[in-house]
Amino acid sequence: MSILWQAVSAEWGKLWSVRSTWWCLAGATALMMLSALTLGGATATEALRGEGAPSPVVASEPVVSATSFAQFALVALAMLTITSEYASGAVRVTLQAIPVRGVMLAAKALVVVPAMAAAGVLSGAVATAAVYLLLSADLFGGLVVLPPGEVVADLLAVGVFFALVSVMTVGVGTAMRSAAGTLTVVFMLLMGLPLLLLMTGSQAALDASLRMPLFAGLAFMGSTDNLTGGPIPYSAGEGLAWLLAWTAAALVAGHAVLRRRDA
Amino acid sequence: MGGVISLKGLSKRYGDRFVVDDLSLELKPGTVTGFLGPNGAGKSTTMRLVLGLDHPTSGTALIGGRPYREIRNPLRTVGALLDARALHPGRSGYAHLAALARSNGIPRRRVEEALETVGMAGAARKRAATLSLGMSQRLGIAAALLGDPEVLMFDEPVNGLDPDGVRWVRGLMRSLAAEGRTVFVSSHLMSEMQLTADHLVVIGKGRLIVEAPLAEIIAGSSLTAVVVRTPYARELAARLSAAGVAVARQAENELVATGAPIERVGDLAHEAGIRLHELRTREASLEQAYQELTAHSVEYGAGKAEA
Repeated sequence: MSILWQAVSAEWGKLWSVRSTWWCLAGATALMMLSALTLGGATATEALRGEGAPSPVVASEPVVSATSFAQFALVALAMLTITSEYASGAVRVTLQAIPVRGVMLAAKALVVVPAMAAAGVLSGAVATAAVYLLLSADLFGGLVVLPPGEVVADLLAVGVFFALVSVMTVGVGTAMRSAAGTLTVVFMLLMGLPLLLLMTGSQAALDASLRMPLFAGLAFMGSTDNLTGGPIPYSAGEGLAWLLAWTAAALVAGHAVLRRRDA
Repeated sequence: MGGVISLKGLSKRYGDRFVVDDLSLELKPGTVTGFLGPNGAGKSTTMRLVLGLDHPTSGTALIGGRPYREIRNPLRTVGALLDARALHPGRSGYAHLAALARSNGIPRRRVEEALETVGMAGAARKRAATLSLGMSQRLGIAAALLGDPEVLMFDEPVNGLDPDGVRWVRGLMRSLAAEGRTVFVSSHLMSEMQLTADHLVVIGKGRLIVEAPLAEIIAGSSLTAVVVRTPYARELAARLSAAGVAVARQAENELVATGAPIERVGDLAHEAGIRLHELRTREASLEQAYQELTAHSVEYGAGKAEA
């Protein structure tokens, strides 16, 4: 068995052997549902108030927008896989078992990919169902549709987005080591900086903001309604490319620190 | 060759302070090597350097001729316990060991065996945060034994253990060495080391003070002396002094001679025709010998906790 596979297998076992994993997943699902219901309700209400025949809401569309909020529960989970080890000193035990730094980091990153992708798809499906049920009510005029192809594509995109954000968090966590530092940096990347840049109003700042993980993710997931007031002005593929670039940068930073600093 | 730990000119500097300073050592299989030194002497840092956790400023630390990081499935070659509290508080001891076993391709049954060996099979499912320090130590020892390694390193393994636990650790160290393994153990408990170690490495301020067999270190202490009881104490004292042996009169008919082996004291008495009622060696304790050795390199005075 290869060293990397052994390491992945060990990290996988560690992920599921602590309660905090389940709490974070439950939190992510609850956040997805609450945010999606709120956003879906608002969209439908707005559509009803508008002029002419209101166009129906795709049930998974508010779910895509809800990721901007729900992602932080999964960021917390991804962060804990590395920062909890630095907090307790257990990282030294991990590195005794897996002394090649790159293998250790790769194992941690690889473990969160399937876990977070599944969490995204499942929590997205639950939230989509909740939105569909809510908007089917007479109050919202039954303004909701559930086109299978579109919904499946949205849910898969949410899964990929969560997986990449989580890998990015593992990279940042490895570079920062502390939970507070990691959360600050990841929050600034995923929310703080893009909004700050958006508020400055200059075109250059707007362009930069749109390339940060928050909007790159929304572009990738095909969001049509978000804080920029409309669709992101580039393709889903370009969104994915930006996301991958941020993720790679975080991993490179994490690896550089991991290799250079004493454990 | 397999289990030899060899340090060559190993140094570690933080800022302008050397924590480990040009340390060269060779630790051999089949012996328990005690690692002694005052707080802050660099013992833990040395162990971290050997395990490839910290980067040396210069020099090398090899295990069986290879740096730790190049050992494939290292837990099957080197088992180490550095800090018993370095556990995820929410993970059970069993899950902790199971993950370590998987990471190094160690069969799952070894987890049960190791837990059995350290006597905590009953507490294996408890979350680490709920374990006492003594139980954490046992779990850490189980982790070190997991891969059935030929080299074992323990940093203060008896911390928090009850007297039974301390005796158990002593027996474990002895038996691991008897099986031909290299055992490297640091401790503050001199009386414990005296019973456990064959060989000692003493460092102070990161530098090697002495490396020698335990027996040699105790024999070399100025407090190791020859006690003589004789009705002619005054005559014998004069005779010994004349022969260059330091001597003190301890009681009316009792002398304490230092700096000469018991044979020489006996021979000198015989040559002078002095009757003896008792002739014996009084050994210094390891604690006394250690105090003498490190008197000049105590980094931190009383009241400071171990880092």
